[in-house]
Amino acid sequence: MDKELIQQIRDKARNLLEEGTVEGVIGYERASDGVTSRPLFVYNPSDTERLIYDETCAHNLVKYLLDKKGKKMAVVVKPCDSRAINLLLNEGQIERDNVFIIGVGCPGMVETNWNHKSETLQAKCRTCQLSKPVVYDFLAGGEIERQAEEETYSDITEEEAKSVATRRGFWLEQFGHCIRCYACRQVCPGCYCPVCFAERLDPLWLGIRIAPEENDMWQTIRSFHLAGRCIGCNECERVCPVGIPLSLLNRKLEKDVKELFAFQAGLDPEEKPPFATFKKEEVMEFEK
Amino acid sequence: MKSEYQPKVIGFLCNWCSYAGADMAGTSRMRYPQNIRIIRVPCSGRVDPLFVVKCFQRGADGVLVSGCHPGDCHYTEGNYHTRRRFALLREFLDYLGIAKERMRVEWVSASEGQKFADLLSDFTAELAGLGPRSKILDG
Amino acid sequence: MNLFASKDDLIRWIGELLKEHIVIAPVQVQEQTLFQPISKAEEVVFDFNNTTLSPKGWFLPPTETLFSVQKDDGKVELVPTQVERDAVIFGLHPCDARGIALMDKPFLEEPSDTLYRERRNRTALIGLACRQAQPECFCTSMGSAPDDPSNVDILLTEVEDGYIVQVVTEKGKTLLPKGLAEYKGKVPAPPELKAVPTREVISAMRELFNDPYWEQVADRCLHCNICAYVCPTCYCFDMRDYADKGKVERVRSWESCQSPGFSLTAGGYDPRTTKGERLRQRFYHKLFYFPEQFQDVACVGCGRCVRDCPVNIDIREVISNLQQVTEAKSGS
Repeated sequence: MDKELIQQIRDKARNLLEEGTVEGVIGYERASDGVTSRPLFVYNPSDTERLIYDETCAHNLVKYLLDKKGKKMAVVVKPCDSRAINLLLNEGQIERDNVFIIGVGCPGMVETNWNHKSETLQAKCRTCQLSKPVVYDFLAGGEIERQAEEETYSDITEEEAKSVATRRGFWLEQFGHCIRCYACRQVCPGCYCPVCFAERLDPLWLGIRIAPEENDMWQTIRSFHLAGRCIGCNECERVCPVGIPLSLLNRKLEKDVKELFAFQAGLDPEEKPPFATFKKEEVMEFEK
Repeated sequence: MKSEYQPKVIGFLCNWCSYAGADMAGTSRMRYPQNIRIIRVPCSGRVDPLFVVKCFQRGADGVLVSGCHPGDCHYTEGNYHTRRRFALLREFLDYLGIAKERMRVEWVSASEGQKFADLLSDFTAELAGLGPRSKILDG
Repeated sequence: MNLFASKDDLIRWIGELLKEHIVIAPVQVQEQTLFQPISKAEEVVFDFNNTTLSPKGWFLPPTETLFSVQKDDGKVELVPTQVERDAVIFGLHPCDARGIALMDKPFLEEPSDTLYRERRNRTALIGLACRQAQPECFCTSMGSAPDDPSNVDILLTEVEDGYIVQVVTEKGKTLLPKGLAEYKGKVPAPPELKAVPTREVISAMRELFNDPYWEQVADRCLHCNICAYVCPTCYCFDMRDYADKGKVERVRSWESCQSPGFSLTAGGYDPRTTKGERLRQRFYHKLFYFPEQFQDVACVGCGRCVRDCPVNIDIREVISNLQQVTEAKSGS
């Protein structure tokens, strides 16, 4: 743990609360296992001492801003998470004036489980090129030089090279494990529909059967709703209790959106997302 | 001999061009396969990817989304959005194991009855070649 | 009387059981251990921490068809789902066995649930005592123990060169293989667990329904259904009719009070709209409503929710917080 960095976060949080700039601060604290971390909501300046920050703080706290709409909140944000703020600003879900962003540099998060912290960096962190958040009001600890690999989507191209039938078998097996706990949706900063299509009763898009066929539809639509919107925090895959490789879906779409529309979500709060715009002269594969 | 297998095709046709095109094919007594079930939509831009995925989930062998030619949309730009949306969906469904040949996006105007008939003959033949797609098992 | 079986004896025994029964046992699926029907004895994993999902899924499957209605030539016929074969759940830990005993209370109370009752009657439980406790385990505080034989038909306990086979019920006796020798050695002591005091909490909860604590703890809750789906005692479900060309199926699937829309009624009224109200429901059901109705806390201390909650809502911590809240109230 970087003591100095943590002190900066605590001081800033205390400051914001004491001055009344914000109602609450969303950060991290040590989890009940004493090893990993968990989200913490601080409303009282004296509780700021519970705030921590280390390589287990994987949660994307931006999701919680959606619960606190209309309230002035401060939030601790890593570089990857900060893209979610841009996404939500772009889509008019949060107001910039209501959010105070405590940015933190990120050395990369490690793989964790309850009561266990590994030395292995999360896959998304190995290719992350961001040395600081893309948007912030205060940067704790300064920029961190990253020596990241280039994102080559090698696992995606490997999948693409397989036959259609092989891929079908692979995904049906993976979706067969799905228990439809919807943790992937609940943790996602981009999933905020007031009524999700999965719960809509009229029209009835999706049944309640926890079975490959319907799970397939759930995962297909969930990931496609995030096409051009997924900011790559990979929280969905991290929280999946049955280990479905959801990043293979999200990153496939990210790759295609980059190739087809030259767009990456969450980097610019003003740029129009790919499905809100078009170019008259563009020609798609099926038109050739 | 024609095989027994008759692929099931769902077609989402826009009210202003493609549905009129299909109508034209019909009133001109052109022959085309009867495998298509047509759903008329106000604009191809109305077609939510959800519709297409649901068709496949419920056992369709092929899905056609058809609208006015780019530039001719009754609502000026609906079909430009359709184009982007389904370019990505086709690729994505293929990745998930539903071959991209099973999904077509075509521009058919009200006067192109022949194009519509040819398109369906071609699509049906291609789907017949791919073989049946059980509800979930194969691509 | 305790018998002794070597690991080879057990493998042979499972092989025998497979001839007449469906055998559900812990197996390795990718990175998880799951209870699944096995096809051969060698698949069984003996040394495992609690499985990702509890074995409750055998009695209350994630999805099942309760019955179907078919229309043929103008005749309408109702076809109930049949439980075809006897089954054995092999290798469940005592906490999971207690989970099943607790599920029995709502499901077997008259009018009992037909399918649950059928499966329960036709399934034998062969338990496996825990020789190690994980940091998330607290079964001893929830009416069970790592070596508790009370909810199984046979309990196995690992010893140095094999397993002690303790026959608990008559049903267990009928499953025994022939030729096992008597075990005369010592029965190893179960592992020690940290206690979580619960009794005062049940009475305290009567006063805490409107406490602001619930909104506070729910701040970080994501309202996914993980805790409910991994829980051996959560049993809420949803039902829906599927109609397709002359056939209607009534389907039942897992559902959870954490999910948005769970308590939505026809007409659009939802009595539990805030995060705090939804999370509170989970703990009230476990620690108050269930004990009021069935005398036991609806938790077995298996630690799955503690382990799998993405934001670390730890039921042990909630219990201890509730005690603190009550103390603070009575002190003031």
